[in-house]
Amino acid sequence: MTPPDYAVQMRGITQRFGAVVALDQVDLSVRPGAIHAVVGENGAGKTTLMRVLQGHLAGAGGTVALHGKPVQFARPEDALRHHVGMVSQHYSIIPDLTCLQNLILGDERAGWLRPSSAITRANALAAQMGFGFDWRAEARTLSPAGAQKLEILKLLWREAEIMILDEPTAMLSPADADALFASLHQLTVQGATVILVTHRIPEVMEHCQYVTVLRGGRLVADWPVSATNSTQLAEAIVGHALAPPLARAQTVGEPILAVDGLSVRGYRGDVAAQDVTFSVRAGELVGIAGVDGSGQRELIQALTGTRRPLAGTLRMGADNVTRATPAQRIWRGVRLIPEDRLQEGVIEDWSLVDNVALGLQRLKPIAQGPWLDRGAAATLAAQVVARFQTKHGGLSHPMRSLSGGNQQRLVAARALAIAPRLVLAFQPARGLDIDGAAQVYQALREAAQAGAGALVVSFDLDELLLYCDRILVMRDGRLYEPAVNEARDRAVIGRLMVGAEGSA
Amino acid sequence: MSGRIIALIVASFGVVVLALSTTGVLPADAMQQLFRGSLGSPRAISNTLRETTPLLIAGVAVFLALRAGLFNIGVEGQLVVGALSATAIVLSVPGPLGVVLGVVGASAAGAAWAYPAGWIRAWRGGHEVITTIMLNNIALFLTRALVAGPLKDPDDQAPTTAMVDATSRMPWLFQHDNLKVNVGLAFGLIAVAGLAFWLRRTVGGYELAAAGANPPAAQAAGVPIQRVQVRAMAMSGAIAGLAGAVQALAYEGRFYSGFSPGYGFDSLGVALLAGLSPWGLIPAALGFGILNQGSTALTLIGIPRGLTGVLLGLLIIVFAALRYREVKRG
Amino acid sequence: MAEFGWVLWLTTSLVLAAPVVLAAMGGLTSERSGIMNIALEGKMLTAACVTALVANATGSAVVGLAAGVTASLLLSLLLGLLAQAYRMDHIVAGMAINALALGGTRFLHQRFTDPDRAAEMAKLPIELYFGLALLAPFVVALVLVRTRGGLRLLAVGSDPEKSRQAGLRPAPIRYGALSATGLLCGLAGAMLVTNAGGFSDGMTAGKGFIALAAVVLGGWRPLPTLAACLAFGLIDGFQLQVQGSRLVGSGIPSEFWNALPYLATVLAMAFLGGRTRAPAGLGRP
Repeated sequence: MTPPDYAVQMRGITQRFGAVVALDQVDLSVRPGAIHAVVGENGAGKTTLMRVLQGHLAGAGGTVALHGKPVQFARPEDALRHHVGMVSQHYSIIPDLTCLQNLILGDERAGWLRPSSAITRANALAAQMGFGFDWRAEARTLSPAGAQKLEILKLLWREAEIMILDEPTAMLSPADADALFASLHQLTVQGATVILVTHRIPEVMEHCQYVTVLRGGRLVADWPVSATNSTQLAEAIVGHALAPPLARAQTVGEPILAVDGLSVRGYRGDVAAQDVTFSVRAGELVGIAGVDGSGQRELIQALTGTRRPLAGTLRMGADNVTRATPAQRIWRGVRLIPEDRLQEGVIEDWSLVDNVALGLQRLKPIAQGPWLDRGAAATLAAQVVARFQTKHGGLSHPMRSLSGGNQQRLVAARALAIAPRLVLAFQPARGLDIDGAAQVYQALREAAQAGAGALVVSFDLDELLLYCDRILVMRDGRLYEPAVNEARDRAVIGRLMVGAEGSA
Repeated sequence: MSGRIIALIVASFGVVVLALSTTGVLPADAMQQLFRGSLGSPRAISNTLRETTPLLIAGVAVFLALRAGLFNIGVEGQLVVGALSATAIVLSVPGPLGVVLGVVGASAAGAAWAYPAGWIRAWRGGHEVITTIMLNNIALFLTRALVAGPLKDPDDQAPTTAMVDATSRMPWLFQHDNLKVNVGLAFGLIAVAGLAFWLRRTVGGYELAAAGANPPAAQAAGVPIQRVQVRAMAMSGAIAGLAGAVQALAYEGRFYSGFSPGYGFDSLGVALLAGLSPWGLIPAALGFGILNQGSTALTLIGIPRGLTGVLLGLLIIVFAALRYREVKRG
Repeated sequence: MAEFGWVLWLTTSLVLAAPVVLAAMGGLTSERSGIMNIALEGKMLTAACVTALVANATGSAVVGLAAGVTASLLLSLLLGLLAQAYRMDHIVAGMAINALALGGTRFLHQRFTDPDRAAEMAKLPIELYFGLALLAPFVVALVLVRTRGGLRLLAVGSDPEKSRQAGLRPAPIRYGALSATGLLCGLAGAMLVTNAGGFSDGMTAGKGFIALAAVVLGGWRPLPTLAACLAFGLIDGFQLQVQGSRLVGSGIPSEFWNALPYLATVLAMAFLGGRTRAPAGLGRP
């Protein structure tokens, strides 16, 4: 096909965020009327690439052309005007407004609104797609599938021709997902072009015509779907195996944590984690792999005590801690390295000493009865800071004076400082280079050897393979464990993560 | 310092100068009169300290709540119920014992008055600004009804309690010539020191500050956020009640309708100006005291009383802008 | 005891409620756009003072009204500036503006009122304000539901981040909302001073906070807020009727009736929760 026939042609796209290269000379060519999949793991760059196309990132290097004509998008309104629209992964429906209000927001077409004529047009568009809406109902009443249909209609309202859908089936049941693809097919028949960003191989194989694979910010594959299969695709996504992981000599002790049938509600009211059962024993590092949004977050919150489970039990040793408060769990030795330290780990305005005490403030030696022993806190802070060579300008300086990586070092060391028994580590090496990450995991290993257990959640499969003894996979809220003889097989785990197991 | 802040400071300055210019008084003369009226004589100093004392104690109350992330605008109401409680108790139980009981009773009353606002905020999410202001008004009417009725001085037509007798007053720490300093001021200083100590040296104080600074992080760190918030409001109310007791037993000697000249709002300003440390409450309260007392002297040279109010409002704005600028930078 | 004047009660109540209605609509507009507004009191007070002063100075009621509304508008925009541009906590900004207003009006009143002038302040007929107060809730409701500007205002107040995704810019929309607030509070203040015949220090006496309470009780919706304001007005009017004397047969002091609206607000917030129906984007940049 000659170049001018491409609906979208992106060439040499490069995007940096500070020192991190998110996209490195990526090309993407989308044929008109196609459903084109862009796949990759978390952090591979797919969402970033789409944001460039959508006009959110004006400073990206490279060129973009629509239907053969070069374009420059400085802001999202430019993309909208060129009939490029995106349905984002985290829906942009405003729950307190009605469906109709959400539909027309930003493109009302008049100062004075006429709901009846708007509804007429809206119904016509909806009928084309086989949707139906109670336009005057509040958008919060919509199911995730319904919200998504509304988002698609929003694109149609704005006469979008090029539609980007970012992980659209993340919240949908299989039936809803099928319905969605029927709609997408319908849209392409009517002349739209669809770009589907996903990590789910079955969807790609069944519904898409072309697939582009990104890994680590680079383009690694660009095929017609008919020319490939799930296995090949999965391998392209997770990459070839690194040097075989070192075997772990482990002596495991008693279970420190036993999770049985745990179900946890998510932010949107859905069931984010379902019937999860596993245990962590003394001396072992258990990793949980999985794509972001598979329920890991809610699981960790249920384990720390900040989210109440719907069903199931948690035991630490002989004690049932399902309903224990966070403070009680800390007392029992539960320690957290949080995913987002700024939000739930540190207080930026406070000094390093005060931050080291956060989470440990009721434990000896920091607490002596009701009193706070500042001297002990300062001594502890010095130890914590020294553990991973955190670079700082003084213990009384505020936390914000530390770089991101050094903040992470402090937070990780803090979790291991006082009698840890169960360490919950969510992306413990976030923001750290290879050496920093190795140090943190080594410290986790030492804690394990001293009798603790560690549960590590990470979106980086290589990291987990390198450092953990056992790897579990979360997908769509459920927990999967590879067969014993495949427990460390990278390809197998990769397939479990994306749901390609069992397909050819 | 960013251009925005400079613009704000210059604008504030300009407003004050503009206002002064309409009165025909030179800024230098105004300043001189202000200080003469507030600090120029032993009597003036006594009066200034008398103004400062309730502001200081109430300032501690507001500061504590602020640290927990709560706005206690209800100091006005907590103060008056505290004052009335103290007066009523002392009228029944005179003498030093009565004073002690009165202080305890006042703190309890103040705490009880603040508790509902804390509970509603912690467990229902209802903003404490509204509930505390509502409680202020309820307190006003409640105390008014009480001093017009059951607690009224039978010998007096006006809505006021009887005067408490001389042994039931809070003693003067220092009384020489015209310079009088009451023990109430010492209470204020002790309250500041106590708060500073508590925040810095106890687990409870640490957890309260954490709950106010970053609730999700505090929760993950084991701090029981809702209980901390309720307790913070109750403690804040108790201290405000104490301020009322001091006002009644040290300076007024009785409770009457119209008791508080707006210490509630002023104490919010004191707490905001104090900055990050409780010790800052002392200069802040003193500053307010000087401005309040000095504004009377200013009226003598033709500067209307409202100017100091404007000045205080501008000070709050500038200080708040400076504080938030620091927060934003990082 | 004289017969209870029902008609008088109703008319007094409506007159008392009207400025609160205007101020409440102003507060509602600002809060629905995401700016917490506890400075209604200060804006009303300033408008009252400026209207009186300028009307006396120029002899023209219209010019007085225009000046008062302008003053309230400026204060409103100042709140917006502090909240948006300086990222100040909305409550601190609001309280500071109240303090400014209290001091400023006192200053202006003392400095610029001519003590020899005994003549009546030039004023517009009270019926005009009354009519505006009655219309205001319906106009606000209509604008919010039926105009593009109203929809965008609701969106920004509900979720500023998602509104940005839809291509809106919260800042200009919020300044617009605050302008409406300034206008409405200005009318409220002018009405107060027209009714009283002249300005006195602190004459708003907490009406701005009652207006805010009415907004909360009314769930941030115009017509229920109107109902709440009327309820407050009825109670206010009732206690005026009873005028400090005891209600025959019941030893309930009049202050109980005075306190009732505030008590009702606290109870409502305890049972209904203040956050559940508040605009979700309140206080978010």
